[in-house]
Order: sequence, then structure tokens, then C-alpha cells
Amino acid sequence: MSTPAQQPSIELYFPSELGYEKVARDAVAAFARRVGFEQERIEDLKTALGEACINAIEHGNAQAPGLRIAVSCVCEDERLTVEIQDDGLKHYNGHHVPVPIESKLRGLAPLRGMGLMMISALVDEAGFTDSPTGGNVFRLALYRRRPVAAQ
Amino acid sequence: MLEDELSVSIREREGVAIIDLIGDVTTFAEEKINSAYAQVTSGGAKRILLNFRQNDYINSAGIAILIGVVTEVNRNNQKLAVSGLSQHFQKIFRMVGLAQYIDIYQDEDEAVKGFATAAA
Repeated sequence: MSTPAQQPSIELYFPSELGYEKVARDAVAAFARRVGFEQERIEDLKTALGEACINAIEHGNAQAPGLRIAVSCVCEDERLTVEIQDDGLKHYNGHHVPVPIESKLRGLAPLRGMGLMMISALVDEAGFTDSPTGGNVFRLALYRRRPVAAQ
Repeated sequence: MLEDELSVSIREREGVAIIDLIGDVTTFAEEKINSAYAQVTSGGAKRILLNFRQNDYINSAGIAILIGVVTEVNRNNQKLAVSGLSQHFQKIFRMVGLAQYIDIYQDEDEAVKGFATAAA
């Protein structure tokens, strides 16, 4: 994600291993704090970003060893945008119908599989986007103040 | 390095089996949480409190583990509550529907009182 020089931004790369998503959460949270986002929004961002990174590790990179995840983050006025890119070993677009907890409790659906639902509920924009270099790119964005309809 | 950051311990207070969870609740927590639940259940616990503390990170995999615990609690006719969650994670629990099946208390004292009131 190329950004004009005047827009604050960070990029980081981390090993595609479960647990390292915490590093991304902490780094992006520090960035969001630095550009003035409130703590409640930062908590939403941390949880959403963690879920997106886990999807990239488990699905896009299929937990293959030796790969990395790229995270870029840019702040434009009221909007913070984060992109999470994997190597695309598996095409992953996350298209599935969210399963209610009742089905999980009755053993009719896997217990996992809530990440995308949580992301959508926590941030203001979320979805997969085109990648010029291959791989899956998931973009999420949030505003300093939640749009009224999302509160 | 990154996978073992949850401390789980068990104690009893006024007829409530308390499982203290300190640290991250992620996929790596499954064995510890399920083992603690199995231990209090084998000891006859009917009222169980998951007491969260200093939990900066609970992800969807951790929530899936808790849904699994709720399944067992329902099967074993037990009562489950949680305490010590931050406002953010209380919101997450409501978001995923867990709050329909688990009573959420601000802290351990409130939870123990809540269990006693429900039993009265």
C-alpha cells in the first residue's frame, strides 16, 4: 500500500505462525494511539486485526512454515486503514454464512469460524481486495468515531 | 515462545468452583481450560466461575473453547458464569452470543453473590 509522505504510516512483516499476530496487534495499537485514536476504538482494532492475521496464517498461508505476513497501516485524517497480506497458498475470500452459537452448541457446526463476523462488527469497513502481487489481501478500516448506524 | 501465555488455576469459594485464567485465551489455551473444567467437574462442581484477569487477548479460537465448555456445562446440568472481563471483552461475549448462556459479572465477589442469589 503506497502512501503519500505526509500521511503517517507503518509497515511490518512477521512470521506466519500463530501467536505472532500479537506483535501486529501491539504495533498497530501503538500506531493508532500515536495518531490519536481513542482507547475503545483501539481495542476494537486490536481484536479485528488479530482475527484477520489469524485468517491469513491459517487459511491464506495454510500454516506453511517459513512464510510471512505483511501488515501495512495508514492514517488519513479521520480514517485508519490496515491491510493484511499473505502469500495466497490458498485462495481465501471468507464467503460463508455466519453460524449462530445455538448451532455450535448443538454440535451442528464447528466451534471455530467466528473471526470474520467479529471483524465486521468491530470495524467500519472490512473485506478482501485485489492484490497486484498475488496472495490474499484483507483490508479493514475504522474512523475515529463510529458512524451512527454502526453504534 | 508465544504459545504458552495462560496461567490456569483452580480454587473453591462458597460452593463455587473458580477457575482463574490469567493471560491470553487463544487456541493454545484449549488443553489447560478443558483440563481445569474436567477437574472441577470430576470433583462434583455444579457452579463454575471462569475468573478472567489481566486478559489482554481473547480471540475467536479462545471463544470457541469457551463455547465448548458451555456445551459440556449444559450437558452436565451445571451453571457457568464469568467475571473480570474488560468492557471490550464483555462486548465481544455479547456479540458472539455467549452472554445468552453465561452470566457476566464485573468481579469475583459479585459473581459469588450472584450464584448464591440464584440458588436461594
